[in-house]
Amino acid sequence: MASYSTKAFLILGRINISRSRLQNATNRATYVSVLSMNSPTGNRASCRYQVGVPRTEKMPVDQDWTAVYPSAAPFRPNAVPLPVRMGYPIKGGVAPDKKANLELIKIPNFLHLTPAAIKKHCEALKPFCTEWPLALDTDAKCDEHFPIKVQTTHFVSAGPSLRNPSARIVHLKNYDYAMYLLTVLYHESWKIEGWEAEKTVADMEEYSWENSPSQRNLLDTLTRMKVVEEEGGEEVRQQLLGQAEVQEYKDSVTRLKNEGENEDTLLQYKEAVKKVLKL
Amino acid sequence: MALQRIFGFSTQPLPFSVAQASQTENHIGQFYTVPASHIHTLFPHGLPLRYQQQIKTFNEACVMIRQPALEVISYLKQTDYNKPALRYIFYGTNGSGKTMSLCHTIHFCYTQGWLVLHIPDAHRWVKNCKELLQSSFNSARFDQPLQATEWLRNFRITNESFLTKIKTKHRYVWTKREFTEEGSLLGELVDQGISRVKSSSDVVGAVMKELRLQSGQSDAAFRLVVAVDGVNALWGRSTIKKEDKTAVDPDELTLIHNARKLMKNDWNGGAIITTLSQTGSLYSPKLSYRPQELLGQVKRGFDCMDPFIPVSVPNYSEKEFESCYLYYIDRHWLQHPQSHTEEGKKELIFLSNRNPWMLDKICAFL
Repeated sequence: MASYSTKAFLILGRINISRSRLQNATNRATYVSVLSMNSPTGNRASCRYQVGVPRTEKMPVDQDWTAVYPSAAPFRPNAVPLPVRMGYPIKGGVAPDKKANLELIKIPNFLHLTPAAIKKHCEALKPFCTEWPLALDTDAKCDEHFPIKVQTTHFVSAGPSLRNPSARIVHLKNYDYAMYLLTVLYHESWKIEGWEAEKTVADMEEYSWENSPSQRNLLDTLTRMKVVEEEGGEEVRQQLLGQAEVQEYKDSVTRLKNEGENEDTLLQYKEAVKKVLKL
Repeated sequence: MALQRIFGFSTQPLPFSVAQASQTENHIGQFYTVPASHIHTLFPHGLPLRYQQQIKTFNEACVMIRQPALEVISYLKQTDYNKPALRYIFYGTNGSGKTMSLCHTIHFCYTQGWLVLHIPDAHRWVKNCKELLQSSFNSARFDQPLQATEWLRNFRITNESFLTKIKTKHRYVWTKREFTEEGSLLGELVDQGISRVKSSSDVVGAVMKELRLQSGQSDAAFRLVVAVDGVNALWGRSTIKKEDKTAVDPDELTLIHNARKLMKNDWNGGAIITTLSQTGSLYSPKLSYRPQELLGQVKRGFDCMDPFIPVSVPNYSEKEFESCYLYYIDRHWLQHPQSHTEEGKKELIFLSNRNPWMLDKICAFL
């Protein structure tokens, strides 16, 4: 059964082919007749259009390039006077040159955006712009006076093709709602919850020396070194804390814990300990 | 102070003797010999294994004088011993010579007549424990009788002379019938611990407490140096497991608990010299060597030792490397003819990066 059906298909196929061949024959006949009318010699070679000199030969060195490429256009080898090569090198040779090079035509080029062209664009846009305020000369000042940044995008595309990937796609941003959200968050962040009082030493973002074990150890050691003045209490403590060596020690420990350890911080810690313990 | 032979290479061609106490910065890079008698008494435990093999091979114990040890010795000479004990921590990369620096410093203290309390490797107390007993003193803690007896034995060898002089100030009750009276000799306490293995950990605790209380008193006859190798083990993790397979916290071990109490500087009349060690440590990354990395910021180690003096032990300097290389050649340890050439020396520098342990390993037999 199967074999029978396939044969049928083959026959059908052959019939089709023969039909198309007939058509071709008639077409070819008409083509040949046209040719014979136009060229009395019958030589196909002389029918070809005369290929002229490429425009690059006629370009002066100081020409206005913005006139050659006024807008985005594909790469035209006869309009670009540069000996560029692009593509995979042939065996034993170099990359193919620019004549009829699909690789160069495929890629986007910025020949229409040379510095001269940009300058012209800027000059054209200048009447529509205002002066930058001179007081805002650093990024920090901009952030200080204008902490909230709103980004909007408008673009106009003009070119030979109406296909632009960004056309007809709009992301709507509700400016009012965004402002409302920011205000709410700002006010909420100032509220202090009950559970924040349970913050432990492990939760702290930075190391602080006051009331740390390090401070206790140091005061302990210093009181024992003085051997006297177990009474006095608070004043003695303040007096000890006010000494320059203790401040230096405090700085070195804070630096060690916050910045991490390296030769520098360890050396500073060592010097501070030696001074505090009076070595 | 015993006179020792100095092996000088750079400036002095002939060896001359300089006493231990008068080693100065000029002697950095040179070797000095520790007499064999000192080795047997002072270092029944505590020297690195490879160094012990070297002593046996060369038939002498030559220690290189290096800057970190000299620095700590100079501080020890300057301190006022009525003040609380100062803590020193030797830190550095693996194999840079921390244990040797510690041993050098301990030897200095020994020649000055101090009492040496040396814990050779605190890491050995938190791993590979064959026997774990529940402590009779505090049922939440665990005893390690084998480690404790071994330590007491070595302690007795080191401080034989002091054991007959120091008297206990408290009374200790071991069992219903055994007790140690107040005023008995320290030697008896130590013997008690060695013979009664079950209570040896508590004996260790008692010895540490007695020494801590008595040193620095005006009538004390001794100064105490506490030397701990691998002090980061006291605040690290342990691999010992209880019967229900949960891990034991070092806090729950009697030996560690007592050692931690020693580390506090609430006693005077001595010094606490320690090293950090990554080599034997558990659960610490291989490349960490700095104090906070190994002692643990969160785990209280740094806060317990604070304020301490960190002393960095770097790899050999060029002069020190030169000295070590010439010493090996002099001892006929470097046999290969190429090692005597300039090329060979450069090869050794490159392969070992002037790391003492690496150099020893490269120069050793296969």
